[in-house]
Amino acid sequence: MSSAGIDKVRDWILGRHPDRTELAADVDLIESRLVDSLAFVELVYTIEDAAGIEIDFDAIDIEDFQTLATIEKAFFA
Amino acid sequence: MVSDVIDRDDRFRGILDRLATKSIDDYYNPYRLFEWPDRLPEDMWWMSPELTTTYGTEWAEKLTPQQLRTLSKHESINFYSLNVHGIRELLIEVVGRIHTAGFETPSEFFHHFIGEENEHMWFFAEFCLRYGGKIYRQPAGAEATASSAKIQSLLVFARILIFEELVDHFNSAMAEDERLHETIRGINRIHHQDESRHIAFGRELVDLLHQDLLQTATEQELADISGYLRRYLKHSFDSLYHPQVYRDAGLERPHELRRALLDSPARAEAELRTFRKTTRYLERTGLIR
Repeated sequence: MSSAGIDKVRDWILGRHPDRTELAADVDLIESRLVDSLAFVELVYTIEDAAGIEIDFDAIDIEDFQTLATIEKAFFA
Repeated sequence: MVSDVIDRDDRFRGILDRLATKSIDDYYNPYRLFEWPDRLPEDMWWMSPELTTTYGTEWAEKLTPQQLRTLSKHESINFYSLNVHGIRELLIEVVGRIHTAGFETPSEFFHHFIGEENEHMWFFAEFCLRYGGKIYRQPAGAEATASSAKIQSLLVFARILIFEELVDHFNSAMAEDERLHETIRGINRIHHQDESRHIAFGRELVDLLHQDLLQTATEQELADISGYLRRYLKHSFDSLYHPQVYRDAGLERPHELRRALLDSPARAEAELRTFRKTTRYLERTGLIR
């Protein structure tokens, strides 16, 4: 079962891609181009807001942002 | 080859020679040029109010005059931070191309460009660290695209140009703004002076790289470039709206505030104003459709 926080992140991604109605937890967001380098900033801010945290931009590990599952584990667990 | 297109273009080579001569004639020592007072007054505007992110919104009415001035301080530190990291990233790209195949002709000017940009990065970082105690970062992501080297070069120099034109819009206004401290006006003035050369160079180079690409690019590739550059314009302008800035200025719910400001009509107008000349150039060359 997913948290309300990760649902906000999923909704944000789906909101940018009206052609999709679902997003599985293991879809690679970067490889599938759902989040490119320009959208990445907004993804980070969306996670910060949904999780109520401040992310250290100097210490970003791109693997934490690869899928909804890795995002949930890194920021909502 | 890009170099064939460049070398055939007498106009471009003439411009390169003039810009390189001007760089030599205008050369200055940035480490001696500026006065750096220990601190700048907190009750002054640090950035022209018309250039701040709350201008023209309900927040400009809701916040006290001192809150707006404090916010202008943090927004100015973010603006110079964007310069520091923007320059760092563009230097990596230009250093990666200087004296390599295809870039023989502009390499002489690249030396001036790299030297001047390094000096700009120094005085912007000095300002941020001395008066703000920090350099703001933007989250940096990854890209899955595997476009050709030609497309990558075009996008690199188009991004550099867009970034420089955004910054120059702010520099030229703040250099003349008597509400700002002389140190602030000074760094904006000197940057504007150097950037006018870099922008002139960038427009010519981007145009040539585009002409070269047109000989081989598919319709889909050109449409993708147009779409990307439109998004990059918006992305660049959005980077002025930084949640940490609102937090450091003591404002509550920074992400909510950022979203509200990004959605305001004032933001759309400000973006149009900032990129008026840039958009006209990109449309005239056909880079954006």
